[in-house]
Amino acid sequence: MAAVVFLVLCTVNAVLQPTFLRFGVAASNVAAFLPMALVAVGQTYVVLASDIDLSAGAIVSLVNVVVVSIIDGMGGSGTSMALGLAAGLTLGLTCGVVNGLCVAYLRFQPIVTTFATGIVFAGFALWVLPEAGRQVPPALYLTYAGSVLGVPTVVWILAAAIAFAAIVARTRFYQALRATGGNMQAAYQTGVPVARVRLGAYTISGLFAALAAFALVGETASGDPLIGGALTLSSVTAVVLGGTALRGCVGGVTGSILGAFILGLISNVIFFAQLPFEWQGLIQGLIILTALAGGVVMARGRQD
Amino acid sequence: MPVLEASGVRKQFGGVVALAGAQFALETGEVHALIGSNGCGKSTLCKIIAGSVAADAGSLLLDGRPVSFAGPRQAAAAGIGVFYQELSVIREMTVAENIYLGREPRNRVGMLDREALEAAVAAALSQFGEVLGAGVHPRTRVGDLSADQSQLVEILKVLAANPRIIIFDEATAALDRNQVTVVFQRIRTLKAEGRSVIFITHRMDEVFEIADRVTVMRNGATVFTCALAQTTRDALVGAMVGGAVVRAGRERRHVPSEAIALEVENLTSAKLAGVSFRLRRGEIVGLGGLHGQGQSELLRALFGATPLRSGAVRVGGETLDPRGPRAVMRRSIAYVSGDRGRYGVMAIRPIFENLVISLLARDRRWTVARQRLEGEISPFIERLKLKFSSLRAAVSELSGGNQQKVVLGRWLATRPSVLLLDDPTKGIDIQTKEDLYATMDELCSQGVAILLHSSDDEELLAVADRVLVFNGGQVMGELSGEQRTRFALYQAAYASKHPA
Repeated sequence: MAAVVFLVLCTVNAVLQPTFLRFGVAASNVAAFLPMALVAVGQTYVVLASDIDLSAGAIVSLVNVVVVSIIDGMGGSGTSMALGLAAGLTLGLTCGVVNGLCVAYLRFQPIVTTFATGIVFAGFALWVLPEAGRQVPPALYLTYAGSVLGVPTVVWILAAAIAFAAIVARTRFYQALRATGGNMQAAYQTGVPVARVRLGAYTISGLFAALAAFALVGETASGDPLIGGALTLSSVTAVVLGGTALRGCVGGVTGSILGAFILGLISNVIFFAQLPFEWQGLIQGLIILTALAGGVVMARGRQD
Repeated sequence: MPVLEASGVRKQFGGVVALAGAQFALETGEVHALIGSNGCGKSTLCKIIAGSVAADAGSLLLDGRPVSFAGPRQAAAAGIGVFYQELSVIREMTVAENIYLGREPRNRVGMLDREALEAAVAAALSQFGEVLGAGVHPRTRVGDLSADQSQLVEILKVLAANPRIIIFDEATAALDRNQVTVVFQRIRTLKAEGRSVIFITHRMDEVFEIADRVTVMRNGATVFTCALAQTTRDALVGAMVGGAVVRAGRERRHVPSEAIALEVENLTSAKLAGVSFRLRRGEIVGLGGLHGQGQSELLRALFGATPLRSGAVRVGGETLDPRGPRAVMRRSIAYVSGDRGRYGVMAIRPIFENLVISLLARDRRWTVARQRLEGEISPFIERLKLKFSSLRAAVSELSGGNQQKVVLGRWLATRPSVLLLDDPTKGIDIQTKEDLYATMDELCSQGVAILLHSSDDEELLAVADRVLVFNGGQVMGELSGEQRTRFALYQAAYASKHPA
């Protein structure tokens, strides 16, 4: 389903924007959609366990401003970049662990908990950097915008995320994750370490939020405490568009990446169709609703 | 030395004593049947052995060494495998993924070896051969299997862990005769390999066919253990029900008429397998047997709350299509559940709203006329001796018994001709129970027909004019007059045979 929508949107986009299929344009599209795709990848694991991470966008904001502040604060040297990225990674993982501990071990309700931790993380982000600004050295954003071995860096990152997902999909952890999402009680009775599995999923979500924050640093070359806000719900939308069921167990990362690209292409199409800006939200919503309805209709057809 | 020994095991859930000092010993290489009436504690004992429930007191010895499991994971590591009555398969995952969940074969770098997994599962499936039926492959989604196929997959899942001690809790419930034969062959092989089996079933035939010894439980305690060769069916049923007799016959004013109020023909659904009976006006028919054999499902299906597959329902001679509760209640049928929290009261809403909600749902009116409604419900408030401070008080301020009276009152206000009662006295005090029995009696003398399911066997036998005994979604027997004894009830409850 997602693949069909994706191809349709690509075609429409190619018609409206003749340069769409050119290498440079395609790469810049990947760069633009990458942050949402990364957050959606992390979100997929949480959703597969029938949980949800509503703090993912806030983690992106927090990691973004912390990384930029450290690098800029230490003068932009090579060491500062390594240190900044390492700190960002640790921070993302820590935020994920906090979510996981609250939900899986303290048995807090996932929606409310991650909504609340999200507010906390966003609050920290504003405290670290109250206003958008500061800068990272050109070495960082030029590497991000550049190529390695003739392939754009952003494509490498996307490929790495897909490879990560492919590996995880072949682990016992992944089976345990799906079992947890499919029927938590049955999984527990089977001896699946349900709490550890849910913690793992939230940690992965934190990790990918951090990676998305890095991508945004590369893209914007500066810090913004509000940059991740919209990514939370768009990541959930991407996951659902990609065919992962919110009740858990069914779905996968590939679909979520497609879902993120679909969301990105919708914005593109609206832009190149020269539709008035005010229509964007309306059209975007209608397309998403149509895609979801199509998925539901197909699922019903299979059941009968 | 027994491989597993439980002694002095106690467990209380809230105020309810589930186990009051159970003794149980499982020998190496034996099949040990565990039987008992409803609420005797056999499931709790098994859950404690399986590590999913912690005992309050008592000891559990494995190979003579004391153990205490923090969870099913540890019990599984100690070699205990459990077939769960409600099944522990994940519907959205494949047969192969389910059978080896948590112990999937891995290759040298630690990745899942799907080929090895599917080959192992294909080999396991072939054990069951033809009785498995069509359409079961390693890659089939378990949700696409039939009930019996899912049970066989659950059995394979338990065995895949290579356990030394296996608890089969109703593992043959949905199987036909040929499938049972194959499963029993498998159990005999397990026995020959020196594995030990605890076997729970609601079929006495199976107990005598497969078990070496049997332990009978009653009221949270183990009554006795003996070899099957040294006992009889009647002795086992007698031990299950104990010396208790039906409580002194209640005074009945009602006399059932000949007119049929409700006629049910060959009703089938996910949990009903062809139920037929007739309910006369002014009659109380009880639905009994072991828990979860389709009694509640029948009541909920008749009320339109769960879907039916086939069958016919006639109310007062006219066909009823139970598509939804609203359609059913307009045919003057009412349903009262004992699960007040889930199906009964709207806890934070006023008593008044709780009393009139059924009238509001039935009638096609746009407005709530408070005075008219108060007039309609006031006779029932008196009749049920409902005590409250104000109609505006939240219903949650009332005791459980009074809350139940509110739920009953809301339905009586619709003046039903058929009343469906689903364990209505669960968790309420004795005085309120007596009030409810008196109300039921009075309703019957006015020609109302009552279908009553109760988890309290004594109550069922004392209150109902006839009792239909359920087993596996079917009516296995009917008790009336002097036959209404616990002995006869459990004789019938354990009597069913597998479909051929």
